[in-house]
Amino acid sequence: MRKQMFLGMTMCLTLSIIGVFFFSGSVAGAAKQNLIATYLKVAPTGLDDGVWGKIKALEVPFDGKEKFAGKKTALTTKAVYTDKEIYFWFTWKDGTMSLTKEAWKYDGQTWSHLKGDEDRIALLFEINRINNFATKGCAIVCHVPQGAPNAKDGKFGTSTEAEKGDLWHWKAARSDPAGYADDGYLTKISDTKGGRKGDSGKGGDKQNMTEDKSKPMYMLAPGKKLGKNGIMLAADAVEITDYKVFKPGDVITYRMPVAAEGSFADIKAVSRYSDGAWTVMLSRKLDTGHDDDVAFNPQRKYSFAMALFDDSKDQDSYDSETLTLEFKR
Amino acid sequence: MVEEMTRQRIEPGSKDKALEGLLKRLQGLEIPADAICWRRFFGSMILVLLTLLFLSGVLMAFFYSPVPGTAYDSVDHLQFNLPMGNLLRGVHHYAWNLLLIVMGFHLFRAFILGAYKAPRQLVWISGVSFFLIIPLFIITGDLLPWDQKGYWSTQVRLSIIGSIPVVGDLLVQMFRGGPLTGIVALTRFYILHILLLPGALIFLIAFHLYALVTRGLSGPLSGNGTPRPRAPFFPVIVNRWLLLFIVSAIGLGIMAWRWPAPLGDPADPTDSSFIPRPEWWVLFLNQLVTIFKGPLMIIGSAIIPGGLLVLMTALPFLDRSPERRPWRRKRVMIIAIVIIAVLTVLSVMGYIEHFVRPEH
Repeated sequence: MRKQMFLGMTMCLTLSIIGVFFFSGSVAGAAKQNLIATYLKVAPTGLDDGVWGKIKALEVPFDGKEKFAGKKTALTTKAVYTDKEIYFWFTWKDGTMSLTKEAWKYDGQTWSHLKGDEDRIALLFEINRINNFATKGCAIVCHVPQGAPNAKDGKFGTSTEAEKGDLWHWKAARSDPAGYADDGYLTKISDTKGGRKGDSGKGGDKQNMTEDKSKPMYMLAPGKKLGKNGIMLAADAVEITDYKVFKPGDVITYRMPVAAEGSFADIKAVSRYSDGAWTVMLSRKLDTGHDDDVAFNPQRKYSFAMALFDDSKDQDSYDSETLTLEFKR
Repeated sequence: MVEEMTRQRIEPGSKDKALEGLLKRLQGLEIPADAICWRRFFGSMILVLLTLLFLSGVLMAFFYSPVPGTAYDSVDHLQFNLPMGNLLRGVHHYAWNLLLIVMGFHLFRAFILGAYKAPRQLVWISGVSFFLIIPLFIITGDLLPWDQKGYWSTQVRLSIIGSIPVVGDLLVQMFRGGPLTGIVALTRFYILHILLLPGALIFLIAFHLYALVTRGLSGPLSGNGTPRPRAPFFPVIVNRWLLLFIVSAIGLGIMAWRWPAPLGDPADPTDSSFIPRPEWWVLFLNQLVTIFKGPLMIIGSAIIPGGLLVLMTALPFLDRSPERRPWRRKRVMIIAIVIIAVLTVLSVMGYIEHFVRPEH
């Protein structure tokens, strides 16, 4: 009898296992792309860590908006996670390495801003559910007034206080040289302002400009070296006392990256531009413990969307559809 | 080879109170000892799974908000923020999937062994009725998380129901309560899922067990009519049932922990681009609807499934010979094999169409 009971139980468990193969697969029907974050015991050391070669890549298509309307581009991304952190790896083609961000140039008599912006990538996750973000993506948080001719007249934010997004914003000139991506969040738009805010703490960039906005206020401090890609960090700057030291053709950083602190410093970044492409790795704790960050629980899935900026302003971007981030052990 | 399988040891004329009497009757209940074997555990397993579904469902109801704006968030909160919430929802999810499989095995075994034959016709008919009510549980439960899959699957199901001539629109109106699937529909599905259907199910279980007690369990095919050895229902069967319950709960709990129950994106009624994939148990039905399109849809959506159900229900009256040995019931067996083969082929076709090479 005991043997028969054992056989019965075994059959029951076998049925359960068969069931898993039937039911654990997704029954959703949308053609939404899934980025699978693979579990690692040891965190990747950087862009060239061998582990990235073993992780399955996802090709994400992007559609141009405004200035880039009708154009398309693509990005390759991978993700891994450890017990404590998550790592995103991105690479995308970009014919020009744009870091100018309106840097100051001296022509021998006056200072003027160089024309040019910077390359960027932005990611938006949900901290608290944003209505229809999972299906409509970033379009749902871009509030362009009816009849407005241009997206730049729109406000970026959510429709209610309850909806909250986590904005990761890697900027080639303004955040990357400091080793971070700006960590912000998205909340309800007001009548006058958008809902885009910076996380608590310190970070971002400092404008290098005199009060009359006619020339730079800071220069590289003696003994200091320019940061990555020739960008001057705010921490390495000193107030200019004698403008006669500059020669025609000198260029000085206008937006100086500030060393991030607190919740603003949650997202660490490393990057490289080579062979006409950016490669960027962003990493963050799965759960920072901060209210202004999404807390990743590897058991659930997360909707997110991305935008690429190619030497362009906020409204001129390449946007992805909404993707799903999934964790797999 | 039908015989009375139960025997009461209660003394006639007992004046015990109702509860005491019931307990005594249970204590005095006996079943054939040959029924205690691994091949005959499907009925107990069904009761185990229904109990797990009931318990997990009641616990989930404490946290559920049946309003479109918050239903998804309440399920998400339960599953990912509350301790054991993931296990609770996972056990509920895997239990109903397993229930369908075990019910299928139970029905198949009863069919093969001719357990539907007189005097157990009512046992069979009440058993087949489970195949009407359990899918209704699944359909109503599917909408409750208010995710994309549940919402759009419901839309598809309502459109199929709506294609039934004469009563289709009325049924859809009854389910949905308005032109759109919104708060009224969600409330109705919720009430059906947690109140009306469980009530009907409890009645059906009671009726099935009553029919089983009064009409008896089917004996072995090799039986020769001689009295069979008996075993007491309490504690032998009860203890085995409890063991099965514990093992099943642990097994389903492990599955729920390892593979969390799926929760799709929140429902977006404006996103008509979402095409839900049919679940495994409706693949053949879905394929029937795909084959019979337009005005012929009624054939795939109602006539064939309805006819199949009528055929199953009427089986004890169509096959009335006392012969239970399968090899002596060739005509019935051939028909059954053909039906099972067709359903399998349709399911495989549906699987290939929706999962192997989906066009969407």
